[in-house]
Amino acid sequence: MTFLEATAAPASVPAVPARPVHFTGNPHAYWRLLIRGAVLLAITLGIYRFWLATDIRRFLWAHTDVNGESLEYTGTAVELLLGFLIAIALLVPIYAVFFLLTLSMGPIGQFISALSLPALAFLGQYAIYRARRYRLTRTVFRGVRFHQTGSAFRYAVCAIFWWMMIALTVGLAYPFAQASLERFKLRNTYYGNLAGRFEGSGFRLFLRGLPMWLLVVGPFLFTIAVAIATVDWTAVAELASRGGNDLPARIEGASPGFYVVIVVAITASVVSVAMAAILFPAFQAMTLRWWASGVRFGNLATHSRLRTGQIYGAYLRFLLYGLLLLIAAAVLAGIGYAVLLILIGATARPEIAEIATIIGGLISYVFVMLGFSTIYQGTVKLALWRHGIESLEIEGLDVLDHVEAGGAASSAVGEGLADALNVGGF
Amino acid sequence: MASGAGIFYDGTSSERHQVTVDAAPDALRIQGADGTLLAQWPYNELQHLSAADDVLRLSRINSPTLARLEVRDPALALAIDDLAGTVDRTGRTARRARHKVIGWAFAATVSLVLVALFGLPALVERLTPLIPLSLEQRLGAAVEPQVRAMLNTGSSGTAFECGTAEAEKAGRAALDKLLSLMEGAASLPIPLKTVVVRRRDSNAIALPGGYVYVFNGLVTKAETPDELASVIAHEIGHVAHRDGTRSLLQAAGLSFLFGMLLGDFTGGGLAVIAVKTIVESSYSRDVEASADLYAVRLMARIGGDPRALGAILERIQGAIEPGVKIFLDHPETKARVAAINAATDVLQFERKPLLDAAEWRALRRVCG
Repeated sequence: MTFLEATAAPASVPAVPARPVHFTGNPHAYWRLLIRGAVLLAITLGIYRFWLATDIRRFLWAHTDVNGESLEYTGTAVELLLGFLIAIALLVPIYAVFFLLTLSMGPIGQFISALSLPALAFLGQYAIYRARRYRLTRTVFRGVRFHQTGSAFRYAVCAIFWWMMIALTVGLAYPFAQASLERFKLRNTYYGNLAGRFEGSGFRLFLRGLPMWLLVVGPFLFTIAVAIATVDWTAVAELASRGGNDLPARIEGASPGFYVVIVVAITASVVSVAMAAILFPAFQAMTLRWWASGVRFGNLATHSRLRTGQIYGAYLRFLLYGLLLLIAAAVLAGIGYAVLLILIGATARPEIAEIATIIGGLISYVFVMLGFSTIYQGTVKLALWRHGIESLEIEGLDVLDHVEAGGAASSAVGEGLADALNVGGF
Repeated sequence: MASGAGIFYDGTSSERHQVTVDAAPDALRIQGADGTLLAQWPYNELQHLSAADDVLRLSRINSPTLARLEVRDPALALAIDDLAGTVDRTGRTARRARHKVIGWAFAATVSLVLVALFGLPALVERLTPLIPLSLEQRLGAAVEPQVRAMLNTGSSGTAFECGTAEAEKAGRAALDKLLSLMEGAASLPIPLKTVVVRRRDSNAIALPGGYVYVFNGLVTKAETPDELASVIAHEIGHVAHRDGTRSLLQAAGLSFLFGMLLGDFTGGGLAVIAVKTIVESSYSRDVEASADLYAVRLMARIGGDPRALGAILERIQGAIEPGVKIFLDHPETKARVAAINAATDVLQFERKPLLDAAEWRALRRVCG
């Protein structure tokens, strides 16, 4: 039996290709996994989600090939289940305290319960960071695991700060927020002893995203400008505070431009929503390309050649399959209704018919919504993963040959919290 | 003895070792290119890991490092599979384990649904009387502003509550007369706080803590004082039975069972919502039926006509498009009317007019 030269013999390793990362998964196998998972989710009311999430990750990781070697996901569903149960044990007292405070302290209690939302948002960001740590420490490549340092608490503080900035600037701060948070995450990400870092520039993303932002938010700015220029707001406010029956007519009398502004505002909202929907895949592709081009591990540098058309293709397939699903659901519901009518004719009990109609309606609702989420996973999510990694060009791959192991497996409580708070990722 | 090429990572670094793998009878022997023995793994300690489809990826159970051996040679992989019981290349063992998981998960689901259907109502039934009335009143005070804000969809110019304007005062006085008659007969442990509100739909609701909202739509639909009184009596039944508190406890329990415990999955907890809807409707049918019976008895006590409840129910239900909401919250109207009439038949009571004609006219204009 012959075998190749040992250790660092360069002849044995194929020459470094321009795009060394491949996705080797069979889409049919992935769809089988997703559809089976959706059925089991429905009949177990969601308990199966820990197993489905683990299966999906195992599939994606195992079929992601970096320079001839695939990733390995070592997490288990039981870990996720335990993490979720621990998170529930932590959250229930918090919910109970908020509830009791609202009840027993009158207005102060209501103020405190108003604080519960930001508190949960904070906890959500905390959970996102901890969950990322779980996923990284369960990712093994060439016998060495990834890991993550850094305080989840600090991350949550930064994330909440940046989300507030995003809200205050109507989204303009988003690129800088992303750059800052990704720097935080990657600075604390390690492959063995090899530290990561993020070199994407927030300003560059800002410049690229600005035209899209103008197309989506621009109509609103235009409306506000029109409103300020044409309407006499003090007159309108005075009339509105006086009230009465013929208010609309009197407003028109006091400030002739008022209804023009209303029409402009409605048109602007429609244009904005349409623009947001049309541009969303382009935005996603742009952000992913920007992010994937900024990741560094030592001398290893990535550059993404992701094409926007690939993401549009995935969304079009999502819409097409979604339409087919709706048609299938309508046909099935029609057949079910016909069968029902025949059965009711036999029994002549209208209340049974009504109960059956409701149960049938709920079944079709669950069928359609679960179907859409499955189709989304199978088209858009898979495309983002697959094209995201296959479009990567990598320089300095040889640093991966001599990385020392480091880091230890972390608990799944973060994943559990993220699950209980509904901020889960993959 | 099968043998072949493999790739070995020793778990201390990411360095790739091209190795020879010997499937010896007792253990898997992993030899480096220079012939040194890098590792020797007994077959019963082998662990099969997830990898690409054409790769057999192995580790050693309980190993302190993440050492990995990868075999791409199909013949060698087959030989290892034969020798090691833990290696599961066809995935049969994994499938069997997964079927067990699915079985248990399904059993857990069935048990949770049974707890929701039978255990939770039984628990709530025993808990509700234990909740002090003062707490119930505070609960109502906390819930009431939110419900009011939710119901108040009218324009900001007019008051949501009827009976405050000068022209409406007479209507409010007539309502107060009717209410004091009913409250006296009901002898509730907590005072009622009844208001007529400006909403077009024909409905009335009771909240924890004695709050009763009568919608103006109902006042205009009622043809006699007895009809209006019978609906209010039904709501007083909810207050007397502490149904508001009970349904709050039930909702909290259900949210906990299905929302928190089972959590959400992509798509927004749909199966959970579906099951909750069905379970909640099964609770509310019993509750409505017993509030009807209470209303019948209260109406008889004040000398009103208990059958008026059936009459106004049929009129409202007939006027509303048949929809999920009405059905879910209230048992079949025909069955309800039949039960109301049957309960009336066994009662003996003396009829008295509840309001005179002028008072009733005023009451009908309580919202102007």
